[in-house]
Amino acid sequence: MYDLIWLLPILPLLSFCILFATGGNLAPRWVTMLGVGSIGIAALIVGVIAWFWLTTGMREPYLYSLGPWMNVAGFTPTFGFYLDGLSLTMLMVVTGVGFLIHVYSSLFMADDLDFSRFFAYMNLFVSAMLVLVLADNLLLLYLGWEGVGLCSYLLVGFWHAKPANGAAARKAFIITRIGDTAMALGLFLLFMHLGTLEIQPMLATASATWQTGDSIPTIAALLLLGGAVGKSAQLPLQTWLPDAMAGPTPVSALIHAATMVTAGVYLIARTHELYLLAPMAQATVAIVGVATLLIAAFTALAQHDIKRILAYSTISQIGYMFLALGVGAWSSAIFHLMTHAFFKALLFLGAGAVIFSLHHEHDIFKMGGLRKKLPVAFWSFLIGSAALTALPFTSGFYSKDAILLAAFEHNPWLYAGGLLGALLTAIYSFRLVFLVFFGDVKTEPSAPAGPRMAVPLIILCFFSVVGGWIHIPVDEVFPVVAGPSHEGPVALITPLIPIVGVLLAYFLFLRRSLDFSGFFGSGLGRNLKAFFFSHWGMDWLYDKVFVVPYTAVARLNQSDAVDLVYEGVANLTSIFHSLIAFTQTGQLRWYAATMVAGLVLLIAIVMGIV
Amino acid sequence: MSGLQLQALLPIITLSSLILIQMMFIAFARNLRLTVSISVIALLLTALSFFPMVDHLPISATPLIQLDGFALFYSGLVLLGALMVTFLSYDYLRDQGERQDEFFMLLLLSCLGALILVSSNHFASFILGLELLGVSLYTMMSYPTRGLFTLEAALKYLILSGVSSAFILFGAALIYAIEGKLGFTELAGMNHTSAASGQFILLMGSTMIFAGIMFKLSLAPFHLWTPDVYDGAPAPVTAFLATVSKGAIFALALRLFTTTGLIDLDPLLRGLSFVAMVSILAGNLLALLQDNVKRILAYSSIAHMGYLAVAFVVAGKAGGQIMAMEAASYFLFAYFLTTLLAFSVVTIMSIADHEVDTTNLGDYEGLFWRRPALAAVFTATLLSLAGIPLTAGFIGKFYIFSIGVAAEAWLLMAFVVIGSGIGIFYYLRIIFAMTKAPRTDVKIEIPTASGWVAVVLTVSLVLFGVYPSPIIDLIGELMISFG
Amino acid sequence: MTEAVMVPMEHGLALAAILFSIGLIGVMVRRNIILILMSIEVMLNACGLAFIVAGARWGAADGQIMFMIILTIAAAEVSVGLGLLLQVHRRLRTIDIDSASRLQG
Repeated sequence: MYDLIWLLPILPLLSFCILFATGGNLAPRWVTMLGVGSIGIAALIVGVIAWFWLTTGMREPYLYSLGPWMNVAGFTPTFGFYLDGLSLTMLMVVTGVGFLIHVYSSLFMADDLDFSRFFAYMNLFVSAMLVLVLADNLLLLYLGWEGVGLCSYLLVGFWHAKPANGAAARKAFIITRIGDTAMALGLFLLFMHLGTLEIQPMLATASATWQTGDSIPTIAALLLLGGAVGKSAQLPLQTWLPDAMAGPTPVSALIHAATMVTAGVYLIARTHELYLLAPMAQATVAIVGVATLLIAAFTALAQHDIKRILAYSTISQIGYMFLALGVGAWSSAIFHLMTHAFFKALLFLGAGAVIFSLHHEHDIFKMGGLRKKLPVAFWSFLIGSAALTALPFTSGFYSKDAILLAAFEHNPWLYAGGLLGALLTAIYSFRLVFLVFFGDVKTEPSAPAGPRMAVPLIILCFFSVVGGWIHIPVDEVFPVVAGPSHEGPVALITPLIPIVGVLLAYFLFLRRSLDFSGFFGSGLGRNLKAFFFSHWGMDWLYDKVFVVPYTAVARLNQSDAVDLVYEGVANLTSIFHSLIAFTQTGQLRWYAATMVAGLVLLIAIVMGIV
Repeated sequence: MSGLQLQALLPIITLSSLILIQMMFIAFARNLRLTVSISVIALLLTALSFFPMVDHLPISATPLIQLDGFALFYSGLVLLGALMVTFLSYDYLRDQGERQDEFFMLLLLSCLGALILVSSNHFASFILGLELLGVSLYTMMSYPTRGLFTLEAALKYLILSGVSSAFILFGAALIYAIEGKLGFTELAGMNHTSAASGQFILLMGSTMIFAGIMFKLSLAPFHLWTPDVYDGAPAPVTAFLATVSKGAIFALALRLFTTTGLIDLDPLLRGLSFVAMVSILAGNLLALLQDNVKRILAYSSIAHMGYLAVAFVVAGKAGGQIMAMEAASYFLFAYFLTTLLAFSVVTIMSIADHEVDTTNLGDYEGLFWRRPALAAVFTATLLSLAGIPLTAGFIGKFYIFSIGVAAEAWLLMAFVVIGSGIGIFYYLRIIFAMTKAPRTDVKIEIPTASGWVAVVLTVSLVLFGVYPSPIIDLIGELMISFG
Repeated sequence: MTEAVMVPMEHGLALAAILFSIGLIGVMVRRNIILILMSIEVMLNACGLAFIVAGARWGAADGQIMFMIILTIAAAEVSVGLGLLLQVHRRLRTIDIDSASRLQG
């Protein structure tokens, strides 16, 4: 039964190959069938596997071996697909949410000239993501990791006619590359010390050879964290994600909300034994998480662009997952990953529906009163925002609550940060809802989108509400942590804060009975707002710290002193070339003579005369 | 002679009899399609005739022939190369006038020589195979009546090759004079002669054999003929020379030097290291500013033979033998695929031209716009030659690196690195030329047979570059039954 | 057989080596293709002589068999060479090897 998993990455890959080979000559109907169908079948297979997993007792991790990749001079990486509770959860998210988004895209992108190319890339992405999730070997995982990065690049720059989109794609690619380099170094380090990159044996060896707190596992864990923060858009490598919103909205939903950006969380969860050996690295994970979630939440408050708000919110929510990982609440992190995939995909797709009906309008201040006109989008947003805010009984409530309580057990300061973040989350999400769907109509929408876009929204609405009751099957994967006690004031304050936040948003943006315009009109307030709007000046800072010095050095080196060395080498080789090219005279007698001379020389060398 | 031993001769018997049949057909019912079909059938049947023996390896059939896994692997390569060249030649010769049939017979004869070489275990069969391969090859070179260049190439190769054969023969005679044996296995451990004069003659003889083989493999300083012959010979024949001929001789050399234990002689290894380094450097430097694609490929093959020689050197170091043979075999496999593919592109480009082959770099300008598929195939080949990942060439070079590093042959490795660096320049030069604006828009016809050859080779090139395990395992299994 | 008739092997080999060198020098200095082919013939026959001398030392037939093989090979090689020579002569009206040096560079 479980050996069906080898099909999962193959199906979308096959579809990609067909779509790529036909090069857009296929009728849109067939493109839809292939592109959506391949993911559908994959989702179906995952469904069957999950059913088996959950209903029968067969919960032993299952390894589908693909055999050795190569056997070169003692270097024999063997590849396989590894199925356990963790990868199963990820599979469900990737194929399930992925399928819904593909269905949605088939209408959203219907008028695009490059319909076929879009689905080709999307399928390739899903294939790479499944490889990442299923990999039993960090090398194979790295292949998937780079594969999703490539697809992200291709899809962010999908509308490449506009130069800004290309720039955004390059930014996403280059910044994540910084993280990937760190991760590659981490892999080298692990391979050097443990001699294998197969995850399970490697972790077992790691636990056996290293003591908790040793320096090697700490460095390795920090390097892997470097890869994770790059991919998951965490501090300090988070600046690419808001720009990545240049891609089509389904891409943002699939790649930059539900799946790829959570790969970092998956990586850390997958190698959690390593982090247990490195408390320092694990603490770093928590601190990165809290810092990111706060900074991103403040930034989201000040944004105008509907997709950028969601992007910052994604960064912030992944910050929660990192916080959970950092405090050892592994399963809560994965739980939040799943619920976040539901409600953030819902929000993005809802935003897509709004944008679709408003002719690609992104500015929330030009929207308003859409509640009646776009009921499906409205309800999606309302439910999605409720889950994002973690209002009681929505899915986000259960996952975020668990994270915050675990953080409290660990360190009250982390808890306080998370709580402040939760308050901000409530304010910015409902700011969005109130501004877009209530008040006066500012832009007249065209007809709401058809059923192919509505149905995925409704299904995601359902999961955003009930997702909290799903029990993810990761108990066997992670060490058992004593459940946080649900007593005392903490247990009461935690669910209360989001409600306070919603009320604040209500008074601020709908009733407008609380008015801070005086403050924001003042110099300090304006600056603060601009500061938040610019994402704490991160891009400016990076520009000043890295880009400007770099260009300055480049300008200084305009004549290129470094290159002189290479030019010198090149010239030297050219000279050598012309020197020995003289030997090719074409004269047979000369050739015979060189043979004889060569023989004499060889004999001299062999006899030890030369 | 037991039945098994007779069976070991079956491939040679099969091929010989089919050559005779083909000759009859050519004499009495001349038809090019028929001749080519017989060639293809002959090659396939020969390949099939190896299968009954797979479980009984190794078999010594007469002192002359030793059939083991090693021979099997290289026989497979030889047959594969010959088959591909047959298809290429068919497209190449089809429109060149009437009497082209004998060419295919010569090709089979040459292939027979190569088959004898890879399984030969005795100087007599060595010489016979070598000359059967060589003499048919000179004739094949000058067979198509295309201008003067083919003639010049054939003449140069004939004379110089004759000299190198004389080197080998004289060397063999010297060894025979000291040891009194001609079989490789009987010669094992022959460096025990105590007399100083005996030692001298022995080394002298080995060096001469070495020099002769180096000539055939176009290793520096015996490489000068290579570009001229590559350039002048018709493209499919060059493909044959570059792959089947060199591959068979390399296999023979590997067997000769490992079974006789010559490889353990330090003086010889010193000479070989020198040759490897000079070849890598000379091949890459000579190719650098070359404007003729066939000549670039010739120089690149000199460099590649240099990389192969590195494997040879490592095989001489303690404990490195099996590893080195594996590395060399995979490298040669990748080299076969890549070189055959490169020359199939050159062949396809040259078919329309009846005077000389299309080899000028300028003729390849704009190929990406004229024939994107062909350009993509050529790009894949060049990247494989350069050793860029995801191609078979990369794995081959990776192998060479691994064994070199394991044997701590740092100086040699430095040369390999420098050579590879220079190499990338001239391979990329061709690729850049292909992306330029086209000079003409004359349509390039891709004939069916050559087209399929290119497709099959490209797929294998990428497949075994991404997932080399099957070939590596096969090589590993076959090498066990060596000797 | 008396002692006086026995020729030491080294002498025989030296003679073969001298013949071989003469052939080799011939290939290097001659421009006439016929003479080059003859020089190759001389080299191959020198090898044959070396085999006979070596065979005599071991009292085995191997050397003589090798000589037969060499004869055959030399004949084949030279016949192909002569065929090429005829072609060269027909096309270029000369049998000077230096005229066939257009391929270079």
